[in-house]
Amino acid sequence: MGLFILRRLGVMILTALCLTFIVFWLTNLYPNLEKLAKTQGNFRMSDEQVETYLGNRGYTQSLPVKYGQWLGVLPGYVIEGTDGDTRARCENHGAPTEDTPTFCGILQGEWGFSTVFKEDVGGIVATRLGLTGKLMFWVMMVMVPGALIIGVLAGMREGSRTDRSLSSISILSTATPEYVSGVILIAVFATPLFGMQYFKGTATSAMDDATFNNFFLPVITIALYGMGYIARMTRASMTEVMTAQYIRTARLKGVSFPNIVMKHALRNALIAPFTVIMLQFPWLLNGVVIVETLFNYKGFGWTLVQAASNNDIELLLGVSVVSVFVVLITQLISDIGYVFLNPRIRIS
Amino acid sequence: MTKQTLTGAPLHPAVDVYVKDVADGKLDRREFLVRTTALGVTSAAAYGLLGLQQPAQAGGHAQQGGTMRMQMEVRALKDIRATDWTQMAFVYAGWLEYLVEYNSDGSFEPMLLESWEVNDDATVYTLNVRQGVKWNNGDDFTAEDVARVITDWCDTAAEGNSMAGRMSSLVDADTGVAIEGAIEVTGSHQVTLNLPKSDITLIAGMADYPAAIYHSGFDGENPLNDQVGTGPYLSEMHEVGVKSVLVRNEGHDWWGYDAGKGAFLDRIEYIDYGTDPSAWVAAAAADEIDMTYETVGDFVEVFNGIGYEESAVASAATIVIRPNQEAEVDGMKPYADVRVRRAIAMAVDNAVCLELGYANQGEEARNVHVGPMHPEWADVPRIEYDPEGALALLTEAGMADFEMEIFSIDDDWRKNTTDAVAAQLRDAGFNVKRTVIPGSTFWNDWTDYSFSSTNWNHRPLGTQVLGLAYRSGEAWNEFAYSNPEFDALLDEANSIADADARREVMMKIQQVLTDDAVTIQPYWRTVYRHAKPGFVGWDMHIAYLPQIYKIGVAA
Repeated sequence: MGLFILRRLGVMILTALCLTFIVFWLTNLYPNLEKLAKTQGNFRMSDEQVETYLGNRGYTQSLPVKYGQWLGVLPGYVIEGTDGDTRARCENHGAPTEDTPTFCGILQGEWGFSTVFKEDVGGIVATRLGLTGKLMFWVMMVMVPGALIIGVLAGMREGSRTDRSLSSISILSTATPEYVSGVILIAVFATPLFGMQYFKGTATSAMDDATFNNFFLPVITIALYGMGYIARMTRASMTEVMTAQYIRTARLKGVSFPNIVMKHALRNALIAPFTVIMLQFPWLLNGVVIVETLFNYKGFGWTLVQAASNNDIELLLGVSVVSVFVVLITQLISDIGYVFLNPRIRIS
Repeated sequence: MTKQTLTGAPLHPAVDVYVKDVADGKLDRREFLVRTTALGVTSAAAYGLLGLQQPAQAGGHAQQGGTMRMQMEVRALKDIRATDWTQMAFVYAGWLEYLVEYNSDGSFEPMLLESWEVNDDATVYTLNVRQGVKWNNGDDFTAEDVARVITDWCDTAAEGNSMAGRMSSLVDADTGVAIEGAIEVTGSHQVTLNLPKSDITLIAGMADYPAAIYHSGFDGENPLNDQVGTGPYLSEMHEVGVKSVLVRNEGHDWWGYDAGKGAFLDRIEYIDYGTDPSAWVAAAAADEIDMTYETVGDFVEVFNGIGYEESAVASAATIVIRPNQEAEVDGMKPYADVRVRRAIAMAVDNAVCLELGYANQGEEARNVHVGPMHPEWADVPRIEYDPEGALALLTEAGMADFEMEIFSIDDDWRKNTTDAVAAQLRDAGFNVKRTVIPGSTFWNDWTDYSFSSTNWNHRPLGTQVLGLAYRSGEAWNEFAYSNPEFDALLDEANSIADADARREVMMKIQQVLTDDAVTIQPYWRTVYRHAKPGFVGWDMHIAYLPQIYKIGVAA
């Protein structure tokens, strides 16, 4: 088990390295750097001015060197600029002092400085991830129990009226993308149009203080989509289990139907949905982009959009690292979870 | 009888002429106020000269204290002189103030100046600095501070400094900094500006949004780092794209308290809801905001519908849809040819742009960026609307097959107006491609698009925008327009204090711009703001200036 987790961690770090290098390479293509210089300096810089701007701030060093500096395995640049000012990477492109460290990369815990938000990347990612975490937590709290109940109820008796109606609902909800359901929900429940203005159509205030009123619509918008999907998975797995030999044996022995479902079928039927639920985490992390924009909730998805559209190199890298870790950690949890759900699976 | 001018000096001789002009109907009231107050007449006296009472200030009905939440884009701040968004000014207006304040009725009120005097040919300005003003770090505010900031404004080498354009008559063209001896400290609270040539726009320039007065220990990279200013508030938090909060600076004895200026609110919050107005409506319906920064297009009706109060001002704010004359497309400069530009202007009916792009909430314009709200506007007709002739002219220029790509930002009215232009060009038989760019990236190189739309704010005098955006080599010259004849005429216009005399030159300027078909400038916008009932002093400002100290909760 310990070895397994260690191996997984190794894979995780390797993946993160590869991915960040690709992002690093793409964001450091010259046209992207030119865009960065013009946003940060001024719009009408000539090509020579762009060149000196980038040179003075260490952007024109070779790619592996810059990447090494970002990682913290190479010393951060100290460049005496053509304008007479000396700039150091480890002082956020300011003048170096006595206390300026030689290395300042990920290994030293320095995530860099966001050019859009003028703040430390570490702080931004932490705040925004926290906000999205809050959203995801409530989504999971609504989605997982809801989906499992619907799936189990539908799968208990295949072909029954309950099955047909619940299946129709879950197909409908999973076939409606968030940008459709979100708009409909806002129109119905957040405007006086239908006389049902129970909730708020914006979640901006939920960032500081989430209440049922301002948080329900974004949560339900995401939850509805995933709920139908997981419910379908649960139903499929449940119907399969319900036809198994040992269930028939239990029924012949005279075990009551609720007991069969709860004690005999449920645990086996949950293996497949468990994987799906774990896969929802990484999907949520990116899927929230639409819902966060729609409801003006400034979380991780919104940060990603801002960073990408402004070519904010270090923020994008921070976001990628976090994404890699979330995906791989949820996979690790789902692999370990298998062992507990299914005794036949061994991790060696 | 209160004194008629700010300094108590006799009235400027031109004032009599203006009074006569109003009587003859040659000048409307706003123009009269702009001209006379810029010459140092108090606004009460200016109203009095017309036999009118100055409108009472709403401030009297405000209660002390309270919070106001405004929907507004929150942007990263930069060097004050390089401010390119009024939204940035709304943040630093908490602790930085202006020398002069421009009001929606066209008058100029002294703020950090107590008064000013202008000599007859507008070459000597005497600025009397307000007594008893203190910086919030305890330093005295003196004439030295004013002289220092004006000198900074004149530094053309500073990155993105747009104040240099407004102060161009003080700038030495060879060195790119203020002319030696032009800015003179003549007393502990007096600065004298000696101009080599007359300039009528100086006071108006000092009232514009990047003209806030900052302390000598100012951090040019990020104004938030060291918030030393003269104003009543301080920034509590500033999170780009999310939220910015100003709170009352309790320890600071603001000069405005004694002067009865206001600063009623204890706390001002700017909350960013992105660029989609439907999100603002949702925020208003959810009671998360108290007012909008600006309401645009169809949403004026929507906000009226949800019970918000409306404030509307007819302004010289506008949009230009312009080709860049130096832009290279496929290795050639398609818009360098005046025939191509004339063809574009001929193919577009401005009334259609106003109707489709801005729901008729404005007035039709004539493609020259000077309008009837400017005192010196001359009645010059536009190039006639003639779509058939347009195609013929384009074919003559050999560009009939050329595909024009028109860029715009991804928002409501700017996109719609640009669409209306593109549709009319297509109807005329032009080959047009439309590209819409998201707001976060559109401005990265807005002056360099080959053909794109840009919104422009109101300026009090007609010559001002022309100086900022049409003079050769200016930072904001997105047209890449360079015509020595135009530059010379503009200099001439800027030396004539009397607007009637200036109109003669302006007529020539408007004709040159029409002949060169520099841009399409389809309409003048009426600008709107909406607020929840229960607030006072929040009226929409004609030039979007950040007069946040006037806002209060109704008593």
